[in-house]
Amino acid sequence: MTPQDREQIGEYVLGLLEDSQAQAFEARLANEPELATAVAKLQAQLETLDDTAGELPAGPALWQRIADRLDGPNAEQAQPALNRSANDNHWTRRLGMAASIVIALAVGYLTGTHLTTSRQPVMIAVLLSEDGSEPGAIVEAYADDTIRLVPFDLTARPADRVYQVWTLPDPETGPVSMGIFDDPATLSLSGPDLPPPEPGQLYEITLEPSGGSPTGRPTGPILVKGFAKMPL
Amino acid sequence: MLHTMKPHPAPEDLIPKIAGGERAALAQLFEAESGRLLAIAQRILRRRDLAEEAIQEVFLSVWRNAGSYDRSKGTARGWLTVMTRNRALNMLRDGARIDYKDGETLAELGDRTADVRAAFDALSARDALRHCLEALDASKREAVLLCYVTGLNHGEAAATMNVPLGTIKSWVRRGVVALQECLA
Repeated sequence: MTPQDREQIGEYVLGLLEDSQAQAFEARLANEPELATAVAKLQAQLETLDDTAGELPAGPALWQRIADRLDGPNAEQAQPALNRSANDNHWTRRLGMAASIVIALAVGYLTGTHLTTSRQPVMIAVLLSEDGSEPGAIVEAYADDTIRLVPFDLTARPADRVYQVWTLPDPETGPVSMGIFDDPATLSLSGPDLPPPEPGQLYEITLEPSGGSPTGRPTGPILVKGFAKMPL
Repeated sequence: MLHTMKPHPAPEDLIPKIAGGERAALAQLFEAESGRLLAIAQRILRRRDLAEEAIQEVFLSVWRNAGSYDRSKGTARGWLTVMTRNRALNMLRDGARIDYKDGETLAELGDRTADVRAAFDALSARDALRHCLEALDASKREAVLLCYVTGLNHGEAAATMNVPLGTIKSWVRRGVVALQECLA
């Protein structure tokens, strides 16, 4: 644990890291148990300060608003967690892909960017909508655990949701967050330390609560997904 | 009020039931914990309506994600506290949603120092956190508490304490490092 780690732990727990810093730090937390333990410890130690806020009677109206939404229009998202714990199925089922679209787009896209960038991605994935018909984003994966994401057609997010990018390095590891973002735009994300991306590796974007999935695994609906291909 | 005579079940025992889809367990958790969480959110957000919105989202999130709570990683109250703080801070940072009038903002900022003092004074004399906060320079202590207790960011804390941004950043960094060392 370096002094810089201690600073980051403190600033993270105080809610002071910028979005990109917080994402990078959370990616580390997913992979460094010692760091995660130190965060949990400081959070628990500071909780007596939260307790000094006292209590405010919440009232039945607030509970009623919550109860109304448990099976409201967002019923799919509001189902209890256990019923949705088979999230990992998302990664293996309904993966029928329009391969020709993927390759055509990937090749066309690469040709277009050769002139403007000297940095070469190791893998490229075209992420398609759930029914496999509409491309929604392109992921360029680099050897240094970063990706460049080029979204072009993503479902608008509700105000209390963010987009979260995931990859599945292998089934044992399970889905790993590459980062979250608010506004669809070309951006670079830095993921945790992972093996180099492989052909066929899955990438997907889900809608998650603000701040990213609280479980560290995808919980929200999948907007787009696709497999990595090696650029020619 | 017969129901208040029964002790509340421990949140740790309610959460697995919530994960199993028992709505009554969520209602019990709400009854036991919402008052404390609402107070935490309101101290950060200042407005009752926003604090209630935060609590609403937290309980919906508990309903959806109760299965992810891991007892070995901390108490259920701690889990709820962190979720509430994060939700409130996200709303606060997403400034467009918070419509304070100009005069109101200044007045609210003025209040923040008082909130921080009240929080510190309310800590038990036996609390190791109080001891470690007392060991910090007054300026570092206030900077850390302004950010944690009232959810100010660096810039707001700098304005409240009337010092440059870089000074606040350095006070907070050194403050949180010293705090962790003292609490270790």
